[in-house]
Amino acid sequence: MPDNDLSTDEPVLRLDRVGLSYGPKSDVLADVSLSLRPGSMTFLTGPSGSGKSTLLRLAYLALRPTAGRVSLFGVETNRLRRRDLAPLRRRIGVVFQEFRLLDHLSAYDNVALPLRITGRPEASYRQDVIDLLGWVGLGDRLEARPATLSGGEKQRVAIARAVVGKPDLLIADEPTGNVDEEMGERLYRLFRELNRRLRTTVLIATHDMALVRRAKNDVLRLAEGMVVRVPLDQREGQP
Amino acid sequence: MSRAAPLLPREDAREAALFFVVCALCFLAALSGLIARAAYAAADAWTSEVAGEITIRVRGPEADTQRAVDIIANTEGIASAQALTREESEELLKPWLGGAGIPAGLNLPRLIAAEGAAGAWDSVAAALKQANINATVDDHETWSADARRVTGTIGLVALSAVALLGATGIAVIAFATHATMLARRDIVELLHLSGARDDFIAGLFERRFLMLGVQAGALGALLAFATAAFILFAVRQTDEQAWLLPQLSLSLADGLILGLSPLIAGAASMFAANLTVKRSLSDMV
Repeated sequence: MPDNDLSTDEPVLRLDRVGLSYGPKSDVLADVSLSLRPGSMTFLTGPSGSGKSTLLRLAYLALRPTAGRVSLFGVETNRLRRRDLAPLRRRIGVVFQEFRLLDHLSAYDNVALPLRITGRPEASYRQDVIDLLGWVGLGDRLEARPATLSGGEKQRVAIARAVVGKPDLLIADEPTGNVDEEMGERLYRLFRELNRRLRTTVLIATHDMALVRRAKNDVLRLAEGMVVRVPLDQREGQP
Repeated sequence: MSRAAPLLPREDAREAALFFVVCALCFLAALSGLIARAAYAAADAWTSEVAGEITIRVRGPEADTQRAVDIIANTEGIASAQALTREESEELLKPWLGGAGIPAGLNLPRLIAAEGAAGAWDSVAAALKQANINATVDDHETWSADARRVTGTIGLVALSAVALLGATGIAVIAFATHATMLARRDIVELLHLSGARDDFIAGLFERRFLMLGVQAGALGALLAFATAAFILFAVRQTDEQAWLLPQLSLSLADGLILGLSPLIAGAASMFAANLTVKRSLSDMV
């Protein structure tokens, strides 16, 4: 079982020479190594089709690598049994690119979902969920179904769901991809506040280079199956 | 504000179709179960009816019949012996010769009905032979064996039908669960990636299909009882020999069959759902 206490120098996420292929000559990721410090906020950039989403799927344990090692919270996941991965997943919040909200549930129920699966009684988290929806600006849309929400509102519900369990690691896949610039900036501020207030480690995959330049956080670039760290003075141009 | 909305959406058309299928399977299984039980009960009733009885057929002068009655009545182990009148013999032949009456000139064999311990039959035959009376002792064993064989076969066929219907039900529910899982893969994946354990996810489907199985099974069992009752009632109204048919009653055994059918349907549904969901989840990391 993983240890819930993170030591200050233990990376939250560590990929060590990770590769992923779906057969010979079909490498999606060739040789990826990266490490995220606790409390850090990092952007993952790269051209379309470079494998950013695949890398994130490895990080939130939706995939297993075909080469190399993935460690989360100091635990090497490759050799863990399936049932031992569930506790690790509960420490990760994920904002999916396509939101993945459940259409038959209200905004409130969507956000509460990660807490429900832990078996906690609703009374113990009801106010937290309501407060969180208020924090993302949806305090008056608790009962709204996803079909009635705008793209930005859906995205904020998805973010609230990802952070409701106070995860140690927050992973977001193109969280500003479906919203306008103003909403993108608001969402980024939400992530930054979360990162600063709760010391949650944040990894954001994005195409939005304007946001990346403004943010001045760590930047990793994924291209040709490999990841390189991008220095502050080299963040102009294409993702 | 709504509280604890179900994580799986309310039932859709697929589940309505599955409800109908499970209901139909349970109806057939419960009906087969009732038939099997009634067949075995009928075999018991028929054989116990003739157990402890023999029929002696006397060929010869009338005086031999009365002599035979005296000899039989005095044989050890015999409780009673009585010669049947011509009218009683005609009544016995009615199913084969019809109710129009038997010609007066037709020579009917004289029959003696005796009751007693089964071990006395050989003594009766020996005593009649010793008295030089031409008679045949029939302990109904051939008829009883035939009756047991026929009802046993009916019961076996019905039980095989129950087993086949049960297996079909499990297969159908497994298929339906798989289809539901595919349709709800978004929910399953989201729960899985959010850290839900396999048991939690399987439990959602188990509860859903348990309720469906119990409700559909209860309706099927009720329809089976109504059908069986109607068939037997209708047969008894039109057939004089209906007493020979398997008996449907509200005995404890019938009640058990009807009461257990929905529970078995529910348990089978739950089992099939659990197996299917966990097998599908094992394909995920």
